[in-house]
Amino acid sequence: MRPVFGWRGCWRIAWRDLHRGLRGLRLLVVCLFLGVATLATISSLTTAITGEIASKGQSLLGGDVEIAMAQREANAAEKSAFRRIGQLSETIRLRAMAQRTGSGDGPSAVLTEFKGVDHAYPLYGRLMLKSGPAGALKPGELVIGQALADRLALRPGQSLRYGEAQFRIRDIIADEPDRVGEGFTLGPVAITSLEGVRRTALVQPGSLYESKYRIRLPRGSNASAAVEALKRAFPAAGFEIKDRDRAAPGTSRFFERMGQFLSLIGLSALAIAGIGVGNGVTSYLAIKRNGIATLKILGASTSDISRIYLMQIGMVAALATACGLLVGAVLPFLLLSAVGDLLPVQPGFSLTAWPFVTSAAYGLLIAFIFILPPLAHARALPAAALFRETVDRRRVRDRTSIIAVGLAAFATAALAIGTAREPLFAASVLGAVGAILLILLGIGSLVRWLARRIKPPRAPLARLAIANLHRPGSQTPALVIALGLGLTLFVTLAAIQSSLSAEIRNTVPRTAPDQFVLDIPIAQKQQFRSLVAHEARGAEVNIVPTLRGTILAYGGTRVADLEEVPKDAWFLRGERGVTYSDTLPEGSDLVEGRWWPKDYAGPPLISLDREAAKVMDVRVGDTLTVSILGREIEARIASLRQVNWETMGFNYIMVLSPNSLRGAPHSLAATITMKPPKKAEGQLSRALLTAFPSISIIAVSEVVGQVTVLLGQMATAIVLAGSITILAGIAVLMGAIAASRHARAYDSVILKTLGATRWQILGSQAVEYLLLATILAGVALALGLSAAWFVIVQIFAFHWSPDWMLVAATLGSGAVLTLGIGLLGSIPLISVRPARALRSI
Amino acid sequence: MAILSGLERASAGEVRVAGIDYALLDEDGLARARRGRIGIILQSFHLLPTMSAIENVAVPLELAGADDAFDRAAAELEAVGLGHRLHHYPAQLSGGEQQRVAIARAVAPRPEILFADEPTGNLDGGTSKAIIDLLFARQAANSATLVIITHDPALAERCNRIVEIRDGLIVAERRR
Repeated sequence: MRPVFGWRGCWRIAWRDLHRGLRGLRLLVVCLFLGVATLATISSLTTAITGEIASKGQSLLGGDVEIAMAQREANAAEKSAFRRIGQLSETIRLRAMAQRTGSGDGPSAVLTEFKGVDHAYPLYGRLMLKSGPAGALKPGELVIGQALADRLALRPGQSLRYGEAQFRIRDIIADEPDRVGEGFTLGPVAITSLEGVRRTALVQPGSLYESKYRIRLPRGSNASAAVEALKRAFPAAGFEIKDRDRAAPGTSRFFERMGQFLSLIGLSALAIAGIGVGNGVTSYLAIKRNGIATLKILGASTSDISRIYLMQIGMVAALATACGLLVGAVLPFLLLSAVGDLLPVQPGFSLTAWPFVTSAAYGLLIAFIFILPPLAHARALPAAALFRETVDRRRVRDRTSIIAVGLAAFATAALAIGTAREPLFAASVLGAVGAILLILLGIGSLVRWLARRIKPPRAPLARLAIANLHRPGSQTPALVIALGLGLTLFVTLAAIQSSLSAEIRNTVPRTAPDQFVLDIPIAQKQQFRSLVAHEARGAEVNIVPTLRGTILAYGGTRVADLEEVPKDAWFLRGERGVTYSDTLPEGSDLVEGRWWPKDYAGPPLISLDREAAKVMDVRVGDTLTVSILGREIEARIASLRQVNWETMGFNYIMVLSPNSLRGAPHSLAATITMKPPKKAEGQLSRALLTAFPSISIIAVSEVVGQVTVLLGQMATAIVLAGSITILAGIAVLMGAIAASRHARAYDSVILKTLGATRWQILGSQAVEYLLLATILAGVALALGLSAAWFVIVQIFAFHWSPDWMLVAATLGSGAVLTLGIGLLGSIPLISVRPARALRSI
Repeated sequence: MAILSGLERASAGEVRVAGIDYALLDEDGLARARRGRIGIILQSFHLLPTMSAIENVAVPLELAGADDAFDRAAAELEAVGLGHRLHHYPAQLSGGEQQRVAIARAVAPRPEILFADEPTGNLDGGTSKAIIDLLFARQAANSATLVIITHDPALAERCNRIVEIRDGLIVAERRR
């Protein structure tokens, strides 16, 4: 039907009508505002962090190009090749024990990241100390991180021992420019000169250190071309070469993935809240029903009705979206100033348009999808039907609206998947959320169908409760989604959290050794054993040779030629631990092939982890080429092992036959498992460090502490992401109550007129919600446990050990909570005075 | 009528209906006072849309604790001429039929007082007459007091006591 009023006339009516207030549209405002604010905050925060990492690539990397190598320094030919490209800076980094020289409270030694730098360091950025720029460091000088100063209660001017050398602490580090590029660290940092590191005698052939060569290219040079040239010049050197565009790939990848995951959760929450938006609009149009009917009687066409209410609701939606964007612009910077110190980089104040454009687009598209169906219903119903809709609720199908909603849903999914860094990941998250919603929608329709068919009970309030489930215009699908989603998430979070707690509680302390000791000189193996036996009677010691190696080729495939490293092949990226042994190492089971004989002297043999072999698609008899200390070793795969990683012992993917590494300089590493009571741990560490100054001791309790904190942070992130969705579920619940408000208020008033008390009416609602919650408890248990199992087993690769009592208790409390929210929302309806309500209905 | 039936509170004065002082009752007390004692018929019928005719009539009986609620509801619908429409929903009934269901619902618990607020206001002339005849017949059959609120002088003339109210004040009263 052609419009009568025209756009201007429709606008006048829409605006005039809106003057009466936003009653009925408040839910739409809240849902859209929260959804858009969450999305814009996550998106702009992620963009700020990854943008900062990308823009500071040179200083984070410490140069335009970085060449890293383990257990050796570059030889003269390599160094001269590096110098030909640009200005060179050298650093050496190793894990070493910092020992306090004087007496004092607390520990006397702490494991640190010890770094030696040359005069050219840093090529980009500045090493800042508390007192100002560091300048050149003298060999006897040391600058330390605040964490180290705190742990050992040290001040500038005091001294500290590393291996055979003593250092004077010059100052505390305020900013280490290449900190993020250095990657994961086990302890606090300490920096001295290259000469200083050499004086400690910790850098020996075979000891575990890493040399890095950073190059500053002449202005205008192409960094990736330089990287390619170096790879071509030294194909078998086993270097790891990075350029400034990949300064901190792990950190950047982490924030991008995390941001993307949270954005998808936010988008899912917004989509779920969209159901609340739809219900909000339904209840708004119910309030306006008489007005719409009157406009139609006065000659307004269906197009006029669409225009008037689309403009009105669209205006409010745009306002809610704008408010959400405003919060999304301000909140990241409040968050950064509050907890910015926890982040690896500190982004400055800058706004990028893209996060706001996408968040606004999501908000408006979702609003459009959920506004259109109720609007189409109001527009298509004849005036008379609108007037008596309380008893006459006919179904209306409007093909144009269905097509428009379909197109908007397609655009939303295309935007989410098209802009994702990992489209498959985005599509699977959205697909999983969509599948859960469809399942819940299906269950909602099934409940409605069953309620219509079962014989109604005689008790009027129970009958009313069941009738409410299937009455025309009943909100059963929306209630099922809200309650189902809430309960599913409660189950998921309880199962994930209890499985994570069990992972920490059960696995680590029972099977882990107490200490790892690195860099034990090979010649002092026996003295080491004797000292441990003397200081910690009954302690178990397991000593293994330790080297670092890079896989250069497997089967017929050269790693350098791969365009992309295969999925799960983390061991092909950079260097990994390698050992040799004439017997099957502890913590491994032989699953294929044979172990070499004790005095094997033939061509090099290797035993591989079964999982690694599967990922590389190699079998017993194939060859593997490994670069160790710059030497290329081609070994035949003699056997495959099942490595029991959770034992936290020395679990190596690659174990070579001893003859393969004969003569290779290396050190030893040991695990020490003390007999309880484990009081002698500190005493043993002191004795070992005195006797073997070059060793590094890692206390497992500290690592477990770090892992516990990490798992705790993971659980918090999951709970936070889940909470956003629970909020969306609550919005849907409120929306469902709001949308059925008119019908429920009508029933409530009639029942009161016929003599029902408020408690009886509330009881009827409770029966309705309880029926739904009982049906949904089973569904939530199945869906929630499946989701939690996927997260725990498939994503984190942990053991599936939820606490069933906790899951059941959480499900029960979740049901009570959602029921409580539902009933609280019903209280205003039953408090309506009958006479007043009868006049208006 | 709202005040007499306990649907609204009086802002001043005292209200006593069938010996009950409304001032002493809260919202739920008023609901209990209506239960089985007062029947209300409204201009717009106000049936529960999710319940069939028989279920609508049975509700006040069930709330009053009657064990034979459905049998009595069926009998009452039979009495108002809707024995063949027991399981029809309000949307499937005409205006006159809906008002018959409303009368059956009000009369079924055998209340002492029946209030009817413009009971024919939404009906055409022919149907109105039939409904009024039915209303008086059910009142007589149940020996209830029937209070009708109306603007129709002809209808008022069928009552044995007429109270005329203008702008909230009683301006005339006569008995027939």
